[in-house]
Amino acid sequence: MRKPFGICLLLLSAPALLTAVEAPKKVIAIVGGRLLTVSHGTIENGVLILADRKIAAVGEAGKVKIPAGAEVVDAHGLTVYPGLIDPETNFGLIEIESDKYSTDLAEPSDEIMPHMHVADAFHADTELIPVARLNGITNAVVAPASEDSIAGQDIFIQLAGADRDEMILGRDTALAMNFGADQRRRGKEGGHGEYPSTRMGLITQLRQTFLDAQDYVARRDAAAAKKEKTDDNKDGGKSDPKKEDKGEKPFKRDLKLEALIPYLNGERPVVIGVYEAYDIETIMALAQEFHLKVILNHVTHSQEVLDKIAAWKVPVIMGSIYDFPRANERFDAVYTLPAELAKRGVKIAISSADAGGPVSSHSSRNLPYAAGFAVAYGLPYDEALKAITLNVAEMFGFGDKLGSLDVGKMANVVIANGDPLDVRTDVKQVYIQGRAVPMVSRQTKLRDEYSK
Amino acid sequence: MLTRKLHRHVLLAASRVGAVVLAIAGVTAAAYSQPAPAPPQDIVFKNATVMTASHGTIEHGSVWVHGGKIAGVGTKVDAPASAVVVDATGEWLTPGIIDPHSHSALDNDVNEATSPVTPAMHMIDAFDNRDKALYQALAGGVTTELLLHGSANMIGGQAVVIKNKVGLDRDAMLFPNAPGSIKFASGENPKRVYGGRNQLPSTRMGNFEVMRMAFEEAKSYMAEWDAYNAKVAKGDKDLMAPKRDLKLEALADVLRGKLYVQIHCYRADEFLTEEAIAHEYGYKIRAFHHALEMYKVADKIAPEDTAIATFTDWWGFKDEAWDAIPWNAVMSMRQGVRVALKSDSNDHIRRLNQEAGKMVHYGGATEDEAIRMVTLNPAWIIGVDDKTGSIDVGKDADLVLWNHDPLSTYARAQKVYIDGDLFFDVSLPGLGTPHFSGVMHGDSDSGSDDEEDGQ
Repeated sequence: MRKPFGICLLLLSAPALLTAVEAPKKVIAIVGGRLLTVSHGTIENGVLILADRKIAAVGEAGKVKIPAGAEVVDAHGLTVYPGLIDPETNFGLIEIESDKYSTDLAEPSDEIMPHMHVADAFHADTELIPVARLNGITNAVVAPASEDSIAGQDIFIQLAGADRDEMILGRDTALAMNFGADQRRRGKEGGHGEYPSTRMGLITQLRQTFLDAQDYVARRDAAAAKKEKTDDNKDGGKSDPKKEDKGEKPFKRDLKLEALIPYLNGERPVVIGVYEAYDIETIMALAQEFHLKVILNHVTHSQEVLDKIAAWKVPVIMGSIYDFPRANERFDAVYTLPAELAKRGVKIAISSADAGGPVSSHSSRNLPYAAGFAVAYGLPYDEALKAITLNVAEMFGFGDKLGSLDVGKMANVVIANGDPLDVRTDVKQVYIQGRAVPMVSRQTKLRDEYSK
Repeated sequence: MLTRKLHRHVLLAASRVGAVVLAIAGVTAAAYSQPAPAPPQDIVFKNATVMTASHGTIEHGSVWVHGGKIAGVGTKVDAPASAVVVDATGEWLTPGIIDPHSHSALDNDVNEATSPVTPAMHMIDAFDNRDKALYQALAGGVTTELLLHGSANMIGGQAVVIKNKVGLDRDAMLFPNAPGSIKFASGENPKRVYGGRNQLPSTRMGNFEVMRMAFEEAKSYMAEWDAYNAKVAKGDKDLMAPKRDLKLEALADVLRGKLYVQIHCYRADEFLTEEAIAHEYGYKIRAFHHALEMYKVADKIAPEDTAIATFTDWWGFKDEAWDAIPWNAVMSMRQGVRVALKSDSNDHIRRLNQEAGKMVHYGGATEDEAIRMVTLNPAWIIGVDDKTGSIDVGKDADLVLWNHDPLSTYARAQKVYIDGDLFFDVSLPGLGTPHFSGVMHGDSDSGSDDEEDGQ
């Protein structure tokens, strides 16, 4: 039954955005909780001090001094852990899934689109972010959808902030690549349309692209060297217009190839979405040829190459853990993959994706349950928690800032009434950079409106 | 989404390959289902945490199964000494999980999307009992499924109710004497499917008018037959019988109350319109499926005795799922609506127990209420709650033994019994299926009609 004043509440809602995450004046002391530090075990009766956006102290009750004037949060009987990090979402690129006008998922005009920057499309005000935040997700990677072989460059965000710029902690943090059946989109059903329509085509196109980028770097550097030389030859700054006219055209920038340079230099990771064992072997050969710093993504049908993945020493985003086994495989062929990878020493992250799609941002709030399900199928609990916190932070270059309850890290902290990986657990409070985030979303507003 | 579609094509291709493999396998190894020894006459589960779904949880409880039926439940049971004993110490025993909304094992035949009114379609005609989705659901503790027509049509086809006896032949998987159900739909899907072809319906006005027009036709048809039968009863022997029309006969069965009406419906206003049309034409609505906005009008629907089969937390995939909230199920239940959770997905069907667990989180359902949402309440929606859905004496022994609290993230089904026979045992090598050792078919889609005719 609709209550008359509810609508006003909805109109007033400002979902993702908060007032600026200024350094809170208050120091917050969370006391008495069970601290899952991720980096240094569990502290049963712990104290966590949040100050100046950061974790100022962490330890056992009695051993950590509570600063005078601190706001004390009683966490007895509650569990305290670092904010969860979703390694792959489309936050801010999608709103209503079926409404193409509300989505900016990928640019499918070409397979090679490294110059697409997710930062340019990220809609900070999306309703999806507060929904995920309520279940303890405080940070996420936002990647383009997986149509393209090279889909664009990811951002790394926090799920609160005054505006887009405050929410984006890292721009162009990783290159989103994909390889497999899904990218053969130019092939028409029952025949072949345009190039590239096969895996052979896709790989050749990728190899040519990276060679072009290397060639581009060589020409750019040569042009720069020449220009330097020319500049040096100019005596006393006197310009000779005739000489300049004779000079070569100024070097023309190619944004597409330029975008690949940091990745060819191994400065930033390349996230490769790939499912099947044989596709993994193919794309890894290419990645090694160009010395890319690889993070493998999905790998849900990689059972045959687990030892190889371990030998390559690449981290893996495993997911969806719910992806379907192939016909005639045991029901748990995919459920057991995180455990099998971790057993081999592979650093894993777990993503929130449902089966049937590489990303399901609306379901990001279920991220901890995917990790819990991996525990049900053999992954040690501590590894599972790491796979949605510290490991993700490390993979994307935020290992010194996020992912564990350690002094000096950003104060992204969750308080819940139990085991974070259990579906029955209720998150009570989320802190992002030391600020208590309102536990409100469009959905809680609807709930409250119709509960009156 | 394009990505999902493409992924589905991959699966489709894989299923074609699977079919070839199957053909070869058929030559070399004809055995698909293997004769398993007859189940023991008496089984007794001892020292389990028994979640009955009807009368609470019994710690250190026992359940006696005799001849495929539950013969005793309690802290002590009178099982004979000859009974096979299953030591369930440290384990949980629940009724089999029941999914009241599945499109599994129908290949790509979910929607006869060639007319908005197709009540003469029978899903049994598309049922592929070797689809791997059935096995994967079984391993998640699912013992009964209502396989429904899709949501492309305002009035779709007639459902088939199965017991998930993976390895048996098709007819042995049908739920004996289950009542018939018919699928209706509403909202975005029919108007998109037909509106996209510039046909009626392309709006919600068109949607509902298509239904009324169909029922008017059915009423004329019934009147024609009634008149004929009356004349025959009076002794007229020369009269030519009216032509039988399968579509109108099926609609007449709706109006005569012979079919349970299961309606795909998201929005609050549409629940009210559907109930009004049901009143106008004199049939009852058994359940609204999806029903994501029920929390807005639950007080109005509860007196109609219409249940809901809803998602726990799926939202935002289209406009009519924009007001979905995960508290819908518990809020509706508190207003008196009978609530079941369902999958509509070959993915979620494998862990409906966890979906029930989420109800403890979203709205504070008791354990008893939560487990009922995936057992007894869906059994009621299907109309088999007198036969299954709870651990009560006289009911079918459809039981799942779990290694952990089934409402937690950590539970795995250890053994799944249907009619007292063991159909899944995780400790067995290979697939863990005592009755199956053949080649499965790959499913060709996600199992959701919303995705299929949606994006």
